[in-house]
Amino acid sequence: MANHKTVIVSKGKNGWGGPLELTPTDEKKYVISVTGGGIHPVAREIARLAGAEVVDSFKNPVAKEQTLVAVIDCGGTARCGTYPRLRIPTVNVKVMSPSGPLAKFMTEDIFVSGVTVGDVELADSETTVAAVPKTEVDEAEVKNAEKNKETVAAAAEPVEDNSTNNEIEGNKGVMGIIDKIAKGAGSFMNIMYQAGRDTIDTIIKNIIPFMAFVATLIGIINYTGIGEILANVFVPLSNNIGGLIILGVITALPFLSPLLAPGAVIGAIIGTLVGNEIANGNIDMSIALPALFAINAQVGTDFIPVGLTLGEAKPETISVGAPAILFSRVITGPLAVVIAYFMSFTL
Amino acid sequence: MDFMIAIADGFIGMFQAGAEVFMGYMTGIIPLLVTLITAVNAVTKMIGEEKINRFLQKITKYALLRYTLVPLIAVFFFTNPMCYTVGRFMPEKYKPAFYDSAVSFVHPITGLFPHANSAELFIWLGVATGYATAGGSQAQLGLMFLLTGLLVILMRGLVTERISAYMFKKQGYERILNEK
Repeated sequence: MANHKTVIVSKGKNGWGGPLELTPTDEKKYVISVTGGGIHPVAREIARLAGAEVVDSFKNPVAKEQTLVAVIDCGGTARCGTYPRLRIPTVNVKVMSPSGPLAKFMTEDIFVSGVTVGDVELADSETTVAAVPKTEVDEAEVKNAEKNKETVAAAAEPVEDNSTNNEIEGNKGVMGIIDKIAKGAGSFMNIMYQAGRDTIDTIIKNIIPFMAFVATLIGIINYTGIGEILANVFVPLSNNIGGLIILGVITALPFLSPLLAPGAVIGAIIGTLVGNEIANGNIDMSIALPALFAINAQVGTDFIPVGLTLGEAKPETISVGAPAILFSRVITGPLAVVIAYFMSFTL
Repeated sequence: MDFMIAIADGFIGMFQAGAEVFMGYMTGIIPLLVTLITAVNAVTKMIGEEKINRFLQKITKYALLRYTLVPLIAVFFFTNPMCYTVGRFMPEKYKPAFYDSAVSFVHPITGLFPHANSAELFIWLGVATGYATAGGSQAQLGLMFLLTGLLVILMRGLVTERISAYMFKKQGYERILNEK
């Protein structure tokens, strides 16, 4: 593996972040492909140009210390933040800009999206090719630094207040009690305010966009009459427990479930259709609870290596865990529907 | 011309239908989410990560709690996807089963605590809004979703634990099985 070369990965059309400069070493020599359905061509291309090894993270998990770069295909929110959080350079083949609970970890120096095979190139003429993107990165870093300064400055004010408060704290008696109350109220307000800010942030970034998409979809489905056609397909399958168990088996199939799971989008669409038919009276209300499990037997199957990595699992554990979970779902998927069916008698 | 107007009417009408649905979400669901998520966010900040971690570390050794209470607390306080980091408190052999259990809870919890997985609310909301329109109680369904979820993740954790133990053995990783 003496042939290590520096590779530059730029963002694709409509992509975000980067460019990333990647140089494999003897220690960090693996390009991991966390894309499901085999090794992604972009991962293969990076490995070929850089003289690194490419592995399918679902089959052969690699410790994070040995990972040069992670190639992912996440259009959702969770997976794309996981590797940046571990400070592993991340190449997303899907177009997306930072969002989701881990958005703050996705910075331009470590995350690039919308990448295609054509965006991967060798840093041959290092001085010319590398120089241009570098200045871009520098500018971005300066901007980031400025932003940080602002937040630091904003954060510094309350801190100063606290320190003056601390001096007063020496005073005992009435002043001391008043001061304690004031301090308590101050920190309570701070927490509540920050909680509110986080909430509005997640509602704007995560919830409303999904609502926009679902509302548009339902509008089209109901208005055009596609709804009736879909109802004819769905109602026989989902208005009785037998059909729901079959749905639970389908969504749990090991080769299908990782494809159905990303972002919980497919489950959400089927759930919305079922809910729509419950509202229209075509599906019985008692079906709601088992249906919630039948549409979701695939949950998280696309995320197994990443989730286990977050739990600091060893590569051996991941290589055993992924098939174990996929296989377990074949049993527990339909079984969950049955449990929910019996629980629904109490509704 | 009338034909063109009819098409235009249909075109706009289709999106007006969508707009009504959207407005329903904005006025019916968003205000509740805003106050609920703010309150829970504040509570989790007040309790603090450290205390929760210390508590979780103590109770992961009991199988019954490992696949019920531990995922519940992890998902509630750390939310999706940070809840899976709790896996680090247990021996390697339990990690796949714990992940399976925790990830299966990120939707059942949203019926009552939408903050825990706000990006994937529609697994729940899609069915629940229909249920409410048909005259059902959304809170009751949410509670049942949560309780049934706990039963399901316990069952799922135990099954996956057995299957992964079998596979660890088959692959020759006895070392991991013996790890405490």
